[in-house]
Amino acid sequence: MNVQGMKMMLVDDEERFLSTTKKLLAKKGVDVLTAAGGAEALRILASKTVHVVILDVKMPGMDGIETLSIIKKDFPLVEVIMLTGHGTVETAVEGLKSGATDFLSKPTDIDELLIKAEEAYEKRLRLEEKIRMAQSRKIMKSPREIIKNADRT
Amino acid sequence: MDITKREPETAMRDQKTNSSKQIRKYILTCMILVPLVPMVVILAIGYFYFTSALTSTSTATMRRIAEDHRQMIEAFLMERKTDLEFVLYTHSFDDLRRQERLGAVFENLLRKSNAFADLGLFDENGLHVAYRGPYHLAGKVYKEAVWFREALEKGHYISDVFLGYRNIPHFIVAVSREVDGRKMVIRATIDTVMFNDLVKNVRIGKTGEAYLLNREGILQTERRSGGSLMEKDPEIDTPLVPHPGIQTLVKTGLTGQDYLYATIWMNDQKWELVVRQDKAEVFKALQTTVYLVVLAVVLGGGVIVATAVYLAERIVVRIQKADMDKGHLQNQLVRAGRLAELGEMAAGFAHEINNPLQIIKSEHALIETILEDLKQKQVLTESEDMADLEDSIKQIVLQVNRCAEITHSILKFGRKNKAEIQKVALDQFIPEITKMVQKKAQVQGITVQQHIADDTPQVYGDPAQLQQVLLNLCNNAIDAIYARHGSSGGYLHVEAGPDPDNMIWIKVADNGCGIDEENLQKVFSPFFTTKPVGEGTGLGLSICYGIIAGMGGKMEVSSKSGEGTTFYVRLPTTG
Repeated sequence: MNVQGMKMMLVDDEERFLSTTKKLLAKKGVDVLTAAGGAEALRILASKTVHVVILDVKMPGMDGIETLSIIKKDFPLVEVIMLTGHGTVETAVEGLKSGATDFLSKPTDIDELLIKAEEAYEKRLRLEEKIRMAQSRKIMKSPREIIKNADRT
Repeated sequence: MDITKREPETAMRDQKTNSSKQIRKYILTCMILVPLVPMVVILAIGYFYFTSALTSTSTATMRRIAEDHRQMIEAFLMERKTDLEFVLYTHSFDDLRRQERLGAVFENLLRKSNAFADLGLFDENGLHVAYRGPYHLAGKVYKEAVWFREALEKGHYISDVFLGYRNIPHFIVAVSREVDGRKMVIRATIDTVMFNDLVKNVRIGKTGEAYLLNREGILQTERRSGGSLMEKDPEIDTPLVPHPGIQTLVKTGLTGQDYLYATIWMNDQKWELVVRQDKAEVFKALQTTVYLVVLAVVLGGGVIVATAVYLAERIVVRIQKADMDKGHLQNQLVRAGRLAELGEMAAGFAHEINNPLQIIKSEHALIETILEDLKQKQVLTESEDMADLEDSIKQIVLQVNRCAEITHSILKFGRKNKAEIQKVALDQFIPEITKMVQKKAQVQGITVQQHIADDTPQVYGDPAQLQQVLLNLCNNAIDAIYARHGSSGGYLHVEAGPDPDNMIWIKVADNGCGIDEENLQKVFSPFFTTKPVGEGTGLGLSICYGIIAGMGGKMEVSSKSGEGTTFYVRLPTTG
């Protein structure tokens, strides 16, 4: 599992959870940003690169699902893992349908959290790879095509 | 204690008694008045019309009788007068003064009518010239007598009853004629007995009678009810005044009897014919009617009142029972609502608890990590305390996981009823459920066993609803076992297996207190519960029945009171 370079953000309204989990992940060598609410999370996303977001579903103010939809709209490459205290299938399904990558039920194991985050990170890396490939394919065309295009322009 | 401060329940009960008193009063009033009033009105109208018809008919009858009777008497008198006139016109004075001639004439007259008692001839001076009859009257002079003078003047005369020289009551008919300047008069006495019978014999009921009075109110004929000839009618003080036509009136007699009278004047307004009948007899039918009407009112009224009271009582009892049932149902509804709320609140609690649990878990992870670090850094050494510490920390995560399981099962159970049909594998599903009731059953000394046949196919169903059904059955079983066995000796078996026709069966059997035969049929009815007030809504089984029916399955029960109960659930398979 490659967690090098993974940028993670934890979004939850419980301050204690944020601080303790940050400490734990720091010990495992993962750097984690934290946000106490949806608004703060979006602000951070706007200014910093984040690959994986662990998003609590039930938060006061802007709740998880709402935040999720904005993230998917504004920062579509960000992988979101829903953290749901409901423990019910419905919220999870709704989240997945809205574009979340995966979901976790509270209370979760820290290790399980990391595993799912890494899976999401891998997915992100693969996506970036595909984009690069598609972009480079566009650059690496046959000379004949280049001439044709040049003639046209 | 202040009397005005009552407990709400007593106050409500009194209110209910008052309202049922009011209802009873209202029903009674309507049911009595509505039939009674028209009945009385109709009877009254009928009675009045009947009495007036009866009165006018009776009166008319009396008048007719009076008229007819008068005509008959007048005809009689007229005939006697005509008889005598005939004699005068067919005989001369000298003829008649011969005794044998007079005698023969008298015989002839008698043949015509035996009303004649004697016959006498008088000259214009009033001398009784000849006489044929039982008395010694010849030779007497009647020149001054009223009858003689009137007979000469008017040509005829009928007298009132008088005693005369004979000293017995009689009345006479006299006629006169003038021949060759000479006047003559013949006079006959009318047999009072015969005349009496003529007037008296009129049939008007039992008390009806007819009699003649003269202007002074003196009886000219005998009165059947009391009064002989020539007696003054004691009820008459003033001289009678003739009136035209027939008069009818009701008068009270001296004996206190009421009579209906019809009076009519005759014989040149000299005599009044009085026809009368006991008023009671005339209007006897009326009296009977009165009795009948009163009887009808009493009987009819009695029946109406009795029916009204009986029906009112029945209706009020029904209403009270309905109210009581309604009250019970409302109570049960309230309880069911409360329980539903509780269920929803439980879900809320579960949500809320998950957050702190998450925190505890992450704190625990941190503690473990730090401990590891410290151990590696050799700050902490192995010791008994260290071992205990690590053991305690492991416990923390164990208990947190246990809490998590509990909240998860609550949340799964308290979901909103959006049925999500899935394939359910019973061999995994049922053990989950038994696990949920395991702890509760164990505490009450109940052995829980399950057996799912190996070849049990999958079913289509909403897992949450299926869970609800099975949990309900298990909880009911546990309650039943507790009721019978207390805290030990109970068993609960959950089994499943394939059923013919592409079905599976699930069996939940217990050795609890069982269900009575009469309750067995009602067991799936809504709001039916044998639990005491406050426990149970009676909704569980009926909801389960509905859920299973909705899945295309069937639910059945077999039970023996005092031995145990088995519930069967059949469901269609996916295959």
